[in-house]
Amino acid sequence: MQNFIAKFRKEAGLSQQELADAINVSRKTISTVETARFTPSVIIALKIAQYFKTSVESLFSLDEYD
Amino acid sequence: MKQDIKAEEKFMGQNAWFSIFMGVTLLIISVYPMLNKASAPLLILGVAAFFGSFFMFVVRGGFTRKMKYHLTYKDEYLNTIDTIAYKHVVLALLFSMGAVYLSSDSFALHISHSMMATFYLAIMCLVYGISILWQNRD
Repeated sequence: MQNFIAKFRKEAGLSQQELADAINVSRKTISTVETARFTPSVIIALKIAQYFKTSVESLFSLDEYD
Repeated sequence: MKQDIKAEEKFMGQNAWFSIFMGVTLLIISVYPMLNKASAPLLILGVAAFFGSFFMFVVRGGFTRKMKYHLTYKDEYLNTIDTIAYKHVVLALLFSMGAVYLSSDSFALHISHSMMATFYLAIMCLVYGISILWQNRD
């Protein structure tokens, strides 16, 4: 699964820690989700989408292996 | 709530280092009696690892109280790597027990049950600590 969280975060001028604090997760969660090492739960995906005022589909997309 | 997540992150890091120091200490305790002569470097390493584990135990004590001895982490990622680390521990324990089962006849006479139990504990501690640190990398 691909994600565009890093792109949204950088456009918003946020650090990983600031985004993590905003949605109440650890910085490692953001870091590993951005590098696709960790697939977050629906709850975290919705929290990130709500924070950036966008849809989950615009943050995450399936690739050919999913 | 935010403080909880940060405390959990710190607790996990300190817990991993505590496990590694304790694992090294226990490994030396379990292996040292098998040596035929005294080994100063091994003793120094063992004492240093013991002091390291004692220091980490004292440091993490406050966090243990803060976490109220919950068995899970609130943070999803920390909880996931904690669960995976326990899986690594079980696998390592199975492999080490298998290795001991296959080769124990050659050194069974020199080793007591308590030494073997200490050895297995050492493997468990070491693998837990290393697994957490490895999974917790950026």
